[in-house]
Amino acid sequence: MDYSIALQLFFSGLNLGSIYTALGLGFFVVYSVTRVLNLAQGEFVMLGGMLVVTFYTKGIPLVPSILLAVVITSLAGAGIYRFIIFPARKFPGMTKVFLTLGCAFIIQGIALHFWGWEFRSLAAFFDTPSIQICGATIFGQTPWVIGATLIMVAGLFVFFGHTIQGKALRACANEPLGARTVGISIERMALFSFALAAGIGAVVGALITPLTMTSYSMGLPLTAKGLLAAFVGGITRVEGVILGGLVYGMIESITAGLIPWGNHNVIALAILVGGLLIRRRGILLTAGKG
Amino acid sequence: MGKKTIFVMTLAVVSIISGLVSCKATESATSYKIGALVSQTGNYAGLGLQALDGMQFIVDQVNEDGGINGIPMELVLLDVKSEATEVTLAARKLDEVNKVIALAEGTVTQLALSLIPVANELEIPSTGISGTALLDNQLGHWFFRPMGSEVDYAFLLLNHMSQYMGISKYAVLIENSGYGQGGKVFLPQLNPNHNLTIAGEEYFDPGATDLTPQLNKIKNSEAQAILIWGSSPTASMAIKQIREMGISLPILTTPAQASKDMIKSFGEYYELQPSVVSVTTKVDIWDQLPADDPDRESFKNFAESFEEKYGHPPAMWNILGATMMLFFADGLERSIPDPSNITEARAELRDALEATKDLNLISGTYTMSPDDHYGGIENNLVLITYKDGQMVYLP
Repeated sequence: MDYSIALQLFFSGLNLGSIYTALGLGFFVVYSVTRVLNLAQGEFVMLGGMLVVTFYTKGIPLVPSILLAVVITSLAGAGIYRFIIFPARKFPGMTKVFLTLGCAFIIQGIALHFWGWEFRSLAAFFDTPSIQICGATIFGQTPWVIGATLIMVAGLFVFFGHTIQGKALRACANEPLGARTVGISIERMALFSFALAAGIGAVVGALITPLTMTSYSMGLPLTAKGLLAAFVGGITRVEGVILGGLVYGMIESITAGLIPWGNHNVIALAILVGGLLIRRRGILLTAGKG
Repeated sequence: MGKKTIFVMTLAVVSIISGLVSCKATESATSYKIGALVSQTGNYAGLGLQALDGMQFIVDQVNEDGGINGIPMELVLLDVKSEATEVTLAARKLDEVNKVIALAEGTVTQLALSLIPVANELEIPSTGISGTALLDNQLGHWFFRPMGSEVDYAFLLLNHMSQYMGISKYAVLIENSGYGQGGKVFLPQLNPNHNLTIAGEEYFDPGATDLTPQLNKIKNSEAQAILIWGSSPTASMAIKQIREMGISLPILTTPAQASKDMIKSFGEYYELQPSVVSVTTKVDIWDQLPADDPDRESFKNFAESFEEKYGHPPAMWNILGATMMLFFADGLERSIPDPSNITEARAELRDALEATKDLNLISGTYTMSPDDHYGGIENNLVLITYKDGQMVYLP
């Protein structure tokens, strides 16, 4: 294989892997605290992307546009928990998962109503040009995606592993009774986790819109990819989400580059699902564990 | 029983009653009901909604002119959500509940394809948006496809490459879809007529994010131009990625890339030299046609009246939606079936559609027969390029 093609497969895998890692982080946050798979996470990504494009095209500079989108999407995430998940908190876990799916369709419908069906796009942040390395290309937006994902990963790692609040959040899932006994409000922590995941989703939406475009219908496919990436690695640990995202991204890149005929997405998904069948608790053997 | 339960039950009863009332209202047989199977949601909602506007535009025009022999046309709309299974379900509902005289699927090939067996089973004259001749040997007795074929516009693209660009080898980037299949099958058949060979053949999924693996291989091939063959937004995004990778080869595209929203999103990349060349209909550039072009006046009238109603010029899927309704309206005018006897009315309409002769639809001219439910004898497609956010006609 030509050297530049191999390098391009690596860069493309890194690009896709960063996107899938960033997508997986939102699932990690909610699942770590509530043990609920939030199927509306992709809609938060869509919402964030749409809001950033809306604000930016109205003349608001990029950074304030992103901050505004994060605040609004976080409020939407908190609202979903407070008004839909919280009233159903005593229902079985699967019911709550289906409720989040219902929320996804509601958000999608609202987005269609307000923004219509058109795809929207953004230029790379601050018009960063593409970089050519030995005949392979890194898009101008890719370093922003990788950089922001690394910052979010580091932030979550420190927060969950080394702060009292973060440990309190994890305690809610691991030892709910004990957490309540020591005065931790599980409901408040769950509300916080939905808001945090939605905020992360909005950042991801802003990051990937220059690469993928955004439209009202993009949420559910992103949910499927992010969820699978998180499960492949191990959804209860940040390291698992990173690993899953990168593995997924690399597989998708390699199938797109090396398999001449189509349906690369299906092939990548089949490989991952096959992998999950062999190693049901993810690569790090953490799915289902605290 | 709690207040909430009573409220929910009341709401349910009201919904059911209102549903029944609306069903009752649509069951009258005083109009020619056309079942519109349109994707209002899902991945192809953009195309579906455009087609719906085109369909409604013609139906309104026919009715403003007094209907078909005094009988109005009526669209009965169902959202097929960009899913093939929904097309089958919706077709059955439109048959049983709404007693439509004809069906029109207004999205893309794979959805039109799923309508063919059910249209033939239910014996309803039907059509659908599909630009591939791959369907033409499986249309059956009840499905018609008065749409341009890839063979027609591939000729324009290949001829432009070989005659005007002096190209002998090109790469093709094909979408993994029913539409993409047409390019995969027909391009190799047509290439020898133009002394062209394919130097690279790559595929992409309609929702793909990063096409650099495929594009890098094309970059390293002997291709002198890139032909993009697809109908999803990713096919337009490919143009952006090609230019961002520093690939300066000429790019040629199928019609979907010439849509207004894609030009709005990626126009700056379309215009980078050498600017992209696309296929589109004459309607898009009617004002650039020579004064003696026989279609100029009718396209002008269509484009201006459409823009007056919808606030924008007609896009490709608007035109295809309109084409389907013009086709049915012509068949109804020649047969004037009695809508109160739906089985006979459907059969009469089917026979009339099969006898379509020299019908100038916006996308081309059609003559059907029992053996030919495509019937294209002339197309109204042209090549354009892009400058200052506008399409520029390439005579």
